[in-house]
Amino acid sequence: MFVEQRARSFAVHAVLIAYSALALGPILLVVMNSFKARNAIFGSPLSPPNSSTFSLIGYEKVFRASHIVVYFENSLIVTLVSMGLVLLFGAMAAWALSEYRFRGSTALALFLSIGIMVPIRLGSVAILNMMRTAGLNDTLTALILVYIAQGLPMAIFILSEFIQQIPKDLRDAARCDGVPETRIFFEVIAPLLRPAIATVAVFTIVPIWNDLWFPLILTSSDSTHTITLGVQQFLGQYITDWNSVLAALSMAILPVVVIYVIFSRQLIAGLTSGAVK
Amino acid sequence: MSNLRVEHLGKSYGTANVLSDINLSVENGEFIVLVGPSGCGKSTLLRMIAGLDGVTTGDIYIGDRLVNGLAPAERKIAMVFQSYALYPHMDVRKNMTFGLKFTGVAPAERQRRVDEAARMLRLEPLLGRYPRDLSGGQRQRVAIGRAIVREPDVFLFDEPLSNLDAALRVSTRVEIARLHRLLGATMVYVTHDQIEAMTLADRIVVMNEGRIEQIGKALDLYYAPANLFVAGFIGSPAMNFFSGAVESVDGDVARVVGAGFGPLALPAGGLDRGAKITVGVRPEHLRIAADGPFTAGGVVELVERLGEASFAHVRRTDDKMLVVEIRGRETPSVSDTVTFHAPLQDIHVFDASGQRIADGHPPRREPL
Amino acid sequence: MAEPVPQVVAQMPKAKLIGLLSLFLGPAVVIYTAFSIYPLLATMQLATFTGESGGGFHFVGLANFQTLLTDALWSTPFWNAFKNNMIFFAIHMAVQNPIGIALAGLLSLPGLKLKSFYRTALFLPTMLSVVIVGFSWNLILSPLWGVAEGALKAVGLGSWFAPWLGLESTALVTLALMSVWQFVGIPMMLIYAALLNIPDELVDAARVDGLGQLRIFLHIKLPLVLPTIGLVSVLTFVGNFNAFDLIYSVKGALAGPNFASDILGTLFYRTFFGNQLQLGNATMGSAIATVMFFIILVGVCFYLFVVQRRMRRYTF
Repeated sequence: MFVEQRARSFAVHAVLIAYSALALGPILLVVMNSFKARNAIFGSPLSPPNSSTFSLIGYEKVFRASHIVVYFENSLIVTLVSMGLVLLFGAMAAWALSEYRFRGSTALALFLSIGIMVPIRLGSVAILNMMRTAGLNDTLTALILVYIAQGLPMAIFILSEFIQQIPKDLRDAARCDGVPETRIFFEVIAPLLRPAIATVAVFTIVPIWNDLWFPLILTSSDSTHTITLGVQQFLGQYITDWNSVLAALSMAILPVVVIYVIFSRQLIAGLTSGAVK
Repeated sequence: MSNLRVEHLGKSYGTANVLSDINLSVENGEFIVLVGPSGCGKSTLLRMIAGLDGVTTGDIYIGDRLVNGLAPAERKIAMVFQSYALYPHMDVRKNMTFGLKFTGVAPAERQRRVDEAARMLRLEPLLGRYPRDLSGGQRQRVAIGRAIVREPDVFLFDEPLSNLDAALRVSTRVEIARLHRLLGATMVYVTHDQIEAMTLADRIVVMNEGRIEQIGKALDLYYAPANLFVAGFIGSPAMNFFSGAVESVDGDVARVVGAGFGPLALPAGGLDRGAKITVGVRPEHLRIAADGPFTAGGVVELVERLGEASFAHVRRTDDKMLVVEIRGRETPSVSDTVTFHAPLQDIHVFDASGQRIADGHPPRREPL
Repeated sequence: MAEPVPQVVAQMPKAKLIGLLSLFLGPAVVIYTAFSIYPLLATMQLATFTGESGGGFHFVGLANFQTLLTDALWSTPFWNAFKNNMIFFAIHMAVQNPIGIALAGLLSLPGLKLKSFYRTALFLPTMLSVVIVGFSWNLILSPLWGVAEGALKAVGLGSWFAPWLGLESTALVTLALMSVWQFVGIPMMLIYAALLNIPDELVDAARVDGLGQLRIFLHIKLPLVLPTIGLVSVLTFVGNFNAFDLIYSVKGALAGPNFASDILGTLFYRTFFGNQLQLGNATMGSAIATVMFFIILVGVCFYLFVVQRRMRRYTF
């Protein structure tokens, strides 16, 4: 009985470790080899860089040949601004839908939730036309607007769930206290939505940061590229230059991994709490 | 401070009727308690006075001002919630001053009021703390403090002690009574606990199923309950009830018989032969060694010994339970057969519709 | 709606209510309608036209759809892409979701050590950009580098190796498996969350009844998370028919070799933007987008009206 348990536990861990190796292996491989000289990459791909094989040549190339810093900045701006506005507009909408109900509130809520299932990309033809007409073609603003539209439905859904959790007495007390309606939202309700930020962030930040489609369609000049698009184009261009390619990939991987590991607890809590539909 | 008047107030949600024809007049500085079982409509009534629930029919006057269409903030009321409803992300001082910012009270005056209220409620050391760091009793005092600083015309309390443990409930109850004496404010207080009602109220409003059963001082309700509901609600343990009928009427004496108690001679006034009545006696008014015209008894099934008072649970001849309070160390034993007596003045008689028959006069209702 | 409209709101002057609604709902509704709903409708409208923006558009009704589905010049790539999409989806359903369920089941075992390490590690690929995943695997599977070949040789399966990504017969499947590798974290996390929701008492009762962990998983836990599995399936469906990034990153807009890895997303992109083989065609591109929309709509409706109705969501 005890032996059985031990054996089963061993088997479970064996499977999980094997799959973890499968999950992490490729990434480690890429990052590891990005620090090696070219012949070491091909000669001994599986061994980590040592003093003789260590080389930063790939990284130098990437910095020289591309505007990777600009790409990174663009991604940062687009992601953070989109996230911020999705949270703000989403929270306001979720609050209004639950509090200031009117005839048609439910219909409006349904209308807004269509976007959860229907991909926004399908309207790209029209989006591009709109941006061209508005003179927003090839701007970060265009990306931000599109990502806000993309992120709102899910954010409103998640925030509505959180708003339901806020005790109604708080709102009643504020009203008895004479607090004006807008202040009630901004000073009483909004501060209490802090736990929701993690959940909304998981569903919003990752798709925006990693998106290839809209930067591809809406940005044409190098200076507005996001990091995902920038890396993709760099890879396509320098495809035979293994050092640079591996370095570019690593530079795209590392910030994400670092942020992920730091915030993994909040991230996973956000995912699991928001996923309980 | 001001008075409060509720006239022919009704509330329905669609076809569901929650309050019917509520009439209530509260004097300036009076402490009124709305008491009743869950679902009787007391909280709804309170919320309508506050303006958090709307009026279906009727009028509400605060200080002789019709407030039906006014928002809560315009009614000069302050409410203390059962859940305290403190803003979790603000410290105690901020909790108390937050609302004042929007009523045009100057900062200096705001601080003065907070300090004053903090002193009254012994909250001074807690002013910088956050609600999550406070105990239940402390949170409740902050909630009360938040109400005090508003200097309202009427204070509204919605079951403020329900979330506190028993010991804290007693001490906070005393606090609230003390506050009332100190402030002399008009207070409307909702509770399901009749002991809170009896100890705090100037007058009690007993409610049931959306109606007012009786309004009166505590002892009036105790000694002269207007109907079966009030009689059974006020007093703990509850009054013992016996079903009976008038067997015969001879001059001004009616002979009443029924299951579970011995034949009884009552003043006839208004009673006809064959009339169905209910007789009620409180557990504390039944005695073993006494003579009283009223008798009831049976086999003792359980004796709860609580010290000076014990409660005997007796299986009556009509198979219902009789509860009797027994004072002193001498208590009956289980499976003893005992007979109890009570004097006529402690007998309550109710007619077939549950209304009190007092000395043959029609049932008594507290005038507005 | 359980709670009726709050009295304060009901009694509010109309003007004030409208002002509040505009302030709170305005930004979200405007941006969403302008950039999500309107473009979709505009695209569907454009699909019923033909012509160039320079030369003017002419209304042709459903002619574009007819062309797309039946005219060999258009329908061959269309049905090829559609078929490939279905294969792509089938592989995800057959591989990604079962693995995700199994991993979730393992992760939710009581008293598992190193749980947070596993969770973090297994979910990491999902955080990465598809570009990174595509390219990394491209390198690893490349015969030039030889890492994959070497790994297979080490376990004696060296003869299995082939330049899968470059072969018509295996390119799509390989890409699908790469996508599975990346996104298995999502069903894993969602089902894991659902499994966490199952009260411990149920599992304890089963253990007292003598069931082993596997039986408990198959007969008790799995049936209770079926609604979540249904949700995961429909999300997979929508995601797959929206897929583009991976194929484009690894194979480019032409989705070779010889369109073997072409799916609806890449077809749409190619048609709409044009490439070295053809000029961009906005109207046909819109037609493809419209068809994609209806495919997704059918799938979602199937889920909402058939699957969700049948599944009972157990509340505890």
